[in-house]
Amino acid sequence: MKSSVEVKDPVTEKILDQWMEKPAPFLSVLHAIQDHFGYLPESGLRLVGQRFGIPVSELYGTVTFYHFFSLEPKVLPDIRICENSACCLHDLDAICEEIVDKDLGIPHSGKVEKISCPGRCDVPVPILIGETFFHGAKSGAIEKATPATMPLPPEIGLEECLFKDIRNGVSSLKKAVEAGSWQSPKRAADDPEGFITELKSSGLTGRGGAGFPTGVKWEAVRTEVADQKWIVCNADESEVGCFKDRVLMAHTPHALLEGMTCAGLITGAEVGIIYLRWEYPEILESLQTAIDEATAAGYLGADACGTGKPFQIVIRRGAGAYIYGEETSLLNSLEGKHPFPREKPPFPTTHGLFQQPTVVNNVETFCAVPPIIDRGGDWFSQLGLGDQQGTRIFSVSGDIQRPGNYEVPVGTPLRQLLMEFAGGAFEGREIQGVTMAGVSGGLVGAEDLDVRLDPASLNDLGAMLGAGGIVVHDDTRCMIQAARESMHFLAEESCGKCFPCRIGTTRMTEILDELNSGEPVREGLLQEIEDLEEVLAETSACGLGLAAPYITRMLKKYWPQQIQDKIDGSGQALKEGSE
Amino acid sequence: MSTEMKMVIDGAEVSFQEGETVLEVARRQGSFVPTLCYDERLDPYGSCRLCVVEVEGRRLPASSCTLKAEAGMDIRTGSDHIRKMQSTLVEMVLSENPGDECPRCRDIGTCEVHELAEEFEVSRDRFLGAISNASKDDSNPFLLRDYDRCISCYRCVRICDEVEADHAITMTGRGWNKGIATAFDGGLMDSDCTLCGQCIYTCPTGALADKKMVNQGSKPGEIEITRSVCPYCGTGCSINLHSLDGKMIGVTPVLDGPVNEGALCVKGQFGFDFVNSEDRLTRPLIRKNGELTPVSWNEAFEYTAQKLSSVRDDHGPKAFYAIASGRAPGEGSYMLQKFTRAVMNSNQVDNCSRG
Amino acid sequence: MSNSIPEIEDADMMLCVGTNMTECHPIIAVRVKKAVRKGAKLYVVDPRKIPLTEYATGHLPLKLGSDVALFNAMAKVIIDEGLADMEYSEERTEGFEELKKHLEPFTIEYGEEISGVPAKLIRECAIAYASAESAGIYYTLGITEHICGVSNVQSLCNLALITGNLGKRSDGVNPLRGQNNIQGAGDTGALPNNYPGFQSVDDPVSQAKFEKAWGVPMDPHKGITKIAALDHAVDGRIKAMWICGENTLVTDPDVKHTTKALESLDFLVVQDMFLTDTAKLADVVFPAAAFTEVDGFFTNSDRRVQRIRKAANPPGDAMPDWWIIAHVAKRMTNDVHFDYENSEQVFDELASLSPIYAGLNYDRIERGDLAWPVPELDHPGTPILHEGEFLNGKGKLQLLNYVPPSENPDEEYPFYLTTGRRLPTYHSNTMTGRSGGFRILVPNEWLEIHPADAEKLGLEDGDWSKIKSRRGEVITRVAITKTSPRGTVFMSFAFPEEVMTNIVTNPEVDPKTETPEFKVAAVSIVRVEAPTGLGASEPLRANPDVEDPHLG
Repeated sequence: MKSSVEVKDPVTEKILDQWMEKPAPFLSVLHAIQDHFGYLPESGLRLVGQRFGIPVSELYGTVTFYHFFSLEPKVLPDIRICENSACCLHDLDAICEEIVDKDLGIPHSGKVEKISCPGRCDVPVPILIGETFFHGAKSGAIEKATPATMPLPPEIGLEECLFKDIRNGVSSLKKAVEAGSWQSPKRAADDPEGFITELKSSGLTGRGGAGFPTGVKWEAVRTEVADQKWIVCNADESEVGCFKDRVLMAHTPHALLEGMTCAGLITGAEVGIIYLRWEYPEILESLQTAIDEATAAGYLGADACGTGKPFQIVIRRGAGAYIYGEETSLLNSLEGKHPFPREKPPFPTTHGLFQQPTVVNNVETFCAVPPIIDRGGDWFSQLGLGDQQGTRIFSVSGDIQRPGNYEVPVGTPLRQLLMEFAGGAFEGREIQGVTMAGVSGGLVGAEDLDVRLDPASLNDLGAMLGAGGIVVHDDTRCMIQAARESMHFLAEESCGKCFPCRIGTTRMTEILDELNSGEPVREGLLQEIEDLEEVLAETSACGLGLAAPYITRMLKKYWPQQIQDKIDGSGQALKEGSE
Repeated sequence: MSTEMKMVIDGAEVSFQEGETVLEVARRQGSFVPTLCYDERLDPYGSCRLCVVEVEGRRLPASSCTLKAEAGMDIRTGSDHIRKMQSTLVEMVLSENPGDECPRCRDIGTCEVHELAEEFEVSRDRFLGAISNASKDDSNPFLLRDYDRCISCYRCVRICDEVEADHAITMTGRGWNKGIATAFDGGLMDSDCTLCGQCIYTCPTGALADKKMVNQGSKPGEIEITRSVCPYCGTGCSINLHSLDGKMIGVTPVLDGPVNEGALCVKGQFGFDFVNSEDRLTRPLIRKNGELTPVSWNEAFEYTAQKLSSVRDDHGPKAFYAIASGRAPGEGSYMLQKFTRAVMNSNQVDNCSRG
Repeated sequence: MSNSIPEIEDADMMLCVGTNMTECHPIIAVRVKKAVRKGAKLYVVDPRKIPLTEYATGHLPLKLGSDVALFNAMAKVIIDEGLADMEYSEERTEGFEELKKHLEPFTIEYGEEISGVPAKLIRECAIAYASAESAGIYYTLGITEHICGVSNVQSLCNLALITGNLGKRSDGVNPLRGQNNIQGAGDTGALPNNYPGFQSVDDPVSQAKFEKAWGVPMDPHKGITKIAALDHAVDGRIKAMWICGENTLVTDPDVKHTTKALESLDFLVVQDMFLTDTAKLADVVFPAAAFTEVDGFFTNSDRRVQRIRKAANPPGDAMPDWWIIAHVAKRMTNDVHFDYENSEQVFDELASLSPIYAGLNYDRIERGDLAWPVPELDHPGTPILHEGEFLNGKGKLQLLNYVPPSENPDEEYPFYLTTGRRLPTYHSNTMTGRSGGFRILVPNEWLEIHPADAEKLGLEDGDWSKIKSRRGEVITRVAITKTSPRGTVFMSFAFPEEVMTNIVTNPEVDPKTETPEFKVAAVSIVRVEAPTGLGASEPLRANPDVEDPHLG
């Protein structure tokens, strides 16, 4: 059917009428259509294309990019199960086999689909049917979903910033205000320069992994002259092994809203958009409640916090794609464009959402702002150890006694985090290594557990701190397999635009599979790995491809013998009993 | 006028205009910078990363097609390190494609991927693994879509969007599972495609080809390429005529044709084979006993000359009329009017512009 | 064209009138789309919702033949709003005040009444045209194939002249020529009033020049046009015709009249690649070589003289056109030189006699970079005409009046029929119809009709209908589409064997150019049962299952 043909679809027409005047409505429109029909019908997409001025072919291509948009009607939802780092330490095949026939109280198709990490690594293995999660799936024990796990109380003597009030019920507006919330926007409006000075002196940097100084970014957007500016919160927490944004949004949502409001009042943006990953349906609900409460109380709206300036916050729900951790591809996604990363420069501070100046920050970054303003930049800065500034949250999972989120001073030794705070390895086991930054920061072997958790120290090892996900592997694990799973995740999530990443991550996965196969490997395999690493590390277009070689380089650094054994065909049997 | 600025490329100082990319400047001054996703008619895309160069003061190489030239920049295009990475990239690209013979190279001309393979003296023997997309069985009469050979540079999608503005095809999926499809993945004839074939001649591989040409090229003989002009509408697009043993087998666009810059429409691209039609006239014909009968040139000339002479002599010059073709070469229309004016002695000549 | 094709993409505003560009000049349309992408405004003036409207800032769906009323109204808006370029008008045009006075009754309301285009849209388009830095007008046969074709063109010229949009980059008044060498045919003197290079036949200096060159006296009187010649054939004044590469019988309006004209001749010579319907009536048929089989030149729409080259062998005895004509000539005269060894010699003779080609030879037209006039061998060509000044002094503003089409719907013939091409079928399909695959894209002729009209007539998509005019009738299938406005139907003339569209078209001509009014005829439409033997079961639109005998 050619695009000139007329389409009739009153349902979609109505959805479009409801949404078109709202900020960045594209994703919401698609979700509304899919919620109604159970999938995205051709007629609907044609109308969406016409209204948004997007050629229908391009729209079709864009929709196919997302995991959670469906172009075919489905009678019953499939069973989706996480296959990434912390979860693949469990016997996924056994779990799958079991759940197919199990009555979970929700009808399903019986078809099992493996998905990328849905951010519940502390309660492995998550299973998703429709929009309902089941946590802690193990053979013989599948439990209903649990809310985001509250962080354990801090060790004595450790001062927290982000988690300070989180255990005090501050998800309700009343409790939040009692604890001192919603004070900072007034200061943002009254003394924006002073506010930025505090942010700069705090040393707060972007917690999504890139580490750009937050004060500098806000100031840049503030000085831009434009009809419209935007505040975007990247809540598409998709890095494997990361589940810290989820806990922040679940238990201290007003810190996020307040931080975003400050950004709006300082830069002159009137709309904040939270780009929430699709895999957090329960957060969608609770966060919307928080927004509604804050709006009703006048903290958001036409006269935000009594400043006389407008600021509103909306949630836009993603549809499953890791690449949105890359801020420009997230912006493309919001606009309805094909979600490839954009060429930088220009940066979002000048050419962001709809080519207008935009602050893009991670959840943790926004959440850190109100306490910093409350207690002062210097206070936050001195929380760091040694030369380091502030605290940050690490999500710890895998083969570890007390998986969960930990807010620790920047510069804390990795060993202290794992052994003291998280309780160390299971009884009788030893930590063999961890994956960093989720998976894209590479691996750190046991011999370097004394490394301090700050970006520079990790870089010195050849790894990366990134977004703060740490997945522990004990001595029962095959580290080649661990590397393979990490690489496989990157290959699955590569957007496919640049050649080195698209081909390189796939070939690397294949090579690691070959090593693991137990069959004799081809000649020149190590040289192929080295050449791929070089091309990935130096020519990839965005961070995803650039990071991929960390995995194999660290694998070779810490576990050369495991590789050599595979090549020699004498890989020794690993210890049994990982469950 | 924009001001002239200077930068250094491979040790030589070169001038450039504001807005130019490093790739454009480097190529102009003669440096070899390979590309696969680049087509000067399209917006820079920066996906193949073959055009990476070293930029003084930067930690990582930059893709020169997306890098705007700046005054004082110091660029190195072809260090051993860059060449090695480019060579690896070409090998990686080759590994995506099947190992059999590329019909495009065989029948139409060496594709860009295989040109680069020759340049870097590499072949398809490292990084082997899964190959690209499955080809699409498309029932249109003209365009071969063999996506096993696709390298996902998206030049086809981009030329369809940026130049043709037909938006008939799109990129689908992501990562390794990417593809090229029409909206809802139907055939080209069910899409907004006009079958102009522009995608074929920006494609750097054998993923897209002219079905008519691919069918003919395997015949023995040398393919000759002759530059000419399209015989359809008045636009005057430059075309290359491909012939084999004196017979037309296909048309390709002339990329630097002054009017079309490599663009053609469905007629210009695929509508050439009427010249090979079985019902071409091959002999002069004279009506004898009511039937058009083949005769020799001499007989036809004598007969025509005699008939026209008598019309002129018996009924006067104005009893003759000549209509020249608006489609045949201009030498013919010149000759017909000269004949009318100098032999038939009148101005009774026109062309078909009036209907 | 006054300007070159590549310039179009730098225009700020484009006014495309009566030109179904994406189908008839797709590669010129590429430049237009490119300009739109760069931010240019595009206004499309066309009765039908042609594909180009999808890229347009505005579409002015005027009633057939109401162009003068529309463009006069636009001119009045421009003058009234103070948007006329007075400096240009004073320096380069004459008659501005007279035009201003003449336009008084041509209000946008009057424009709306005649053309059916909303007054607001007329105003918007006029302001967009006059306010742009460089605004180009592009038109095709939708403007010229009317009894008022000349007035239509002049009304567009008025717009360009009062706004100064003629004589600089990316503006101008640009007719897009429908055939590859129709410009070249005129350039070479295949015109009843001009020698090669548009030198007038009634100018004694030119006469003397050609008498000297060819060594015989020249007829000092203009010839008649082809359209008049067909009438003269009917009444016996013309006895013999030589038709080169034109399927006159099919492509001229009122087929019955054309048939009668050709049948009335004592002697008809047809020179073609195929035994066309016209050739079937001939007394002598000469087999012509194809463009792929000869050396020569084509001159395109933007006056670009381009070399074509021999790439293949002609079949059998087929020979280049010039060769055939020269051989007949040699047998009829000893006084005039007709001994040519190759096409290059013919071209050189043309260049020596035509000042606009004087600076050209086969070497210089090698790459097609030169647009005429090229008066000297080192001249860089003239991509933009009228830069600085007009050839004939000042540009005269024309005082034009609206003249309705010669036929308008009435009770008996309640619909307007307009004709044109479709993208995959060129002209009468002699070329595309013989190229493999095109039959799959367009299996048949069909009549395009608006759904509301179809409903009234009880027609469904794919039904058969009879289309009748005062001259005759044809039977074809219908395709229901909103491309056609209510009350106006559309057909091409690509399937003469099955549907001889020009049986019904109107042979009334513009009095100055004698171009027929192909674009307007009044017709009636009735549903009929599928005729036998006409492929009633064949698919209506593009279909891969259609058998194409030309696909190898």
